[in-house]
Amino acid sequence: MSIEAQTIHRETFVLNLGPQHPATHGVLRVKLTMDGEYIEDAEPVIGYGHRMHEKMGENRTYAKYLPNMGRLDYVAALFNSHGYVCAVERLAGITVPERAEHIRVITAELNRLASHLLWAGAFLIDLGGFTPLLYTFDDREHILDLLESVTGARLTFCYYRFGGVGNDIDDNFIVGTRAFITRLRSRMPMYHALITKNIIFRKRCEGIGPISAETCRKYGASGPVVRGAGISYDVRKNEPYSIYSRFNFNVPVYHEADCMARYKVRMDEIIESMRIIEQALDQLPSGPVMAEKVPKMLKPPKGDCYFNVESARGVFGVRLVSDGTDKAYRAKLRSPCFSNMSLFRECSQGMLLADALALLGSLDLVIPDMDR
Amino acid sequence: MGERSVHLDEQSQVPPGLIHFAALDQVLDLARANSLWPMTFGLACCAIEMMATGAARFDMARFGCEVFRPSPRQCDLMIVCGTINKKMAPAVATLYDQMPEPKWVLAMGNCAISGGPFVFPGQYAVVEGVDKLFPVDVYIPGCPPRPEALIEGFLELEKKLTGKRRWPVAAAPQSD
Amino acid sequence: MTFENLKLYLTGIAAMVAPPAPPVIEGAEPAPTPAPVPQIAETDHAKRGTDLEVTVPADKVAVASHIMDNAGYVLEAITGVDWLAENQFEVVYDYTLWASGQRVAVRARIPRDNPVLPTVSAIYPGANWHERETHDFFGIQFEGHPDLTPLLLPEDATFHPLRKDFGT
Repeated sequence: MSIEAQTIHRETFVLNLGPQHPATHGVLRVKLTMDGEYIEDAEPVIGYGHRMHEKMGENRTYAKYLPNMGRLDYVAALFNSHGYVCAVERLAGITVPERAEHIRVITAELNRLASHLLWAGAFLIDLGGFTPLLYTFDDREHILDLLESVTGARLTFCYYRFGGVGNDIDDNFIVGTRAFITRLRSRMPMYHALITKNIIFRKRCEGIGPISAETCRKYGASGPVVRGAGISYDVRKNEPYSIYSRFNFNVPVYHEADCMARYKVRMDEIIESMRIIEQALDQLPSGPVMAEKVPKMLKPPKGDCYFNVESARGVFGVRLVSDGTDKAYRAKLRSPCFSNMSLFRECSQGMLLADALALLGSLDLVIPDMDR
Repeated sequence: MGERSVHLDEQSQVPPGLIHFAALDQVLDLARANSLWPMTFGLACCAIEMMATGAARFDMARFGCEVFRPSPRQCDLMIVCGTINKKMAPAVATLYDQMPEPKWVLAMGNCAISGGPFVFPGQYAVVEGVDKLFPVDVYIPGCPPRPEALIEGFLELEKKLTGKRRWPVAAAPQSD
Repeated sequence: MTFENLKLYLTGIAAMVAPPAPPVIEGAEPAPTPAPVPQIAETDHAKRGTDLEVTVPADKVAVASHIMDNAGYVLEAITGVDWLAENQFEVVYDYTLWASGQRVAVRARIPRDNPVLPTVSAIYPGANWHERETHDFFGIQFEGHPDLTPLLLPEDATFHPLRKDFGT
């Protein structure tokens, strides 16, 4: 038979990734239509971690809803709390005292460090390198010790209150934080030697998983995903909230738009967060940590407002609708992982499965944040 | 261990005391207790504390259980850490059924014990506790439980397997 | 597109409402009924979180999306609100411009008995998932959406949990 007469019979098959899979960071399911090792279509199926947060926002009083915020994006829980308490403060017209604002910034940036360190370890595990996880978790344990001494919790913090924070920080915390920053600064060259310069890591990440700036805009992506695509958008700079406008820090932007760019953005953000913490500690004023005359049963006036913060994963927004009672009428939580994941279907077409997993890891997803 | 999860009718019950190798059973139990292989089954927040328990500071490897296997066919311990959703419940039950005997289940965290903070009148998405799906051996309360609590859960499970506790329970500090 | 031009375009499609009635003065001639005005207003970002709020008729949300897309805005969120007492759903589209941090909220109201809105997922592909989620929670139908199967709820779910009369 001539070559032309022979037809090559091709078949695609459907491969189910998840909802239990070591690389899915929780319960994410992706229905992959595969042509060999190449992905023809990747349809994410989410909802396996749906925990009814928005319904609970309507059932619980404003204060009783605070613990929910810690369980939304639990790796960077303080940002969710920050967004929610600031939205309520915006509606109710509560002003936060200066010391509390500084403490919020310090603890939130420490949480960002913990989140990025955890991400770095988990990303490397996705790619097959187990060692960095042990190092990053070790540094993360120091951060959790500091935060535990102040908030009482290691993971699902419920520390911010309407009008301030729950506890004041003491000298042990300040000394410990400064010591930790010195330690982490000295560890960064080790991380770069271990991870960034590793040839296998570079081959797995450079040029892999390109997400263009226009794709980011069309899908509403945010955070390190867009900063790795060349867009300098950081809520702390473009739409400053709290007291971030007083601090001197850069927003790292890389233009390659691949997994390596997103990794480098997060590693540079670790450096910048340490700068912010040091400046906040230097400028820490004395004073109360709670606003005065905040009613125990908060009833913000009728109306609605929107508040967004720069979480470790992107823009976390809260649209709060109040009807004048002690429970929110509607608490919409705009999750960064939800929008970041929605571009996976378009961006993973034609990729090798292993590269798609690198892309998935570089999006930094926390599934209960996506599913709320 | 096996009878709890396999439904036996009266005719196919294994008669008790048919074959007993007392010392060998004890050795096997000790071996099983010291080499529990957990399944990587992180559902939600407690998964991070489980990862922290496996990491350097708390080090689950001391107890022989650092070998996390993603495949249920290769593990004997399912640590259910996180909330079980009604959408997720069939997958969890399938994973449990796929695990070979002998197998044990640790319910880590309040969500796995009873639905946790997500139970409210009119709730529509959460299964209130993993023991609604299959039997649980050890319950570890907390939201999330500290890594030390997870290790205590392992020690309880080991005591359940071998009859002896590896380390004595810490005495309460003497107050002056 | 400058902010002023954007306001002009949005004013062109905004829903028209009667302005507040002028105060009645004793003994004077009754004032003529004032003409309806477009429902668009600049807001204080520090108090509301948005710079511009506009209400459009339900069939104009796709046109509004086009305008926002041409202006380079990003669609961040689609929020559904169930106003049970007024027998209406409200859908709020939150747009933001990355460069300046400006925010625009586009609102639309639809009747509760027939909640239908045109989809904006052809303009903003990210809206695909936002609309699926709003459909899950409220039952709002988005005309022209490629696939309105449940996203967060189980695939065979037929209930809409964030409706205020859910569970009763």
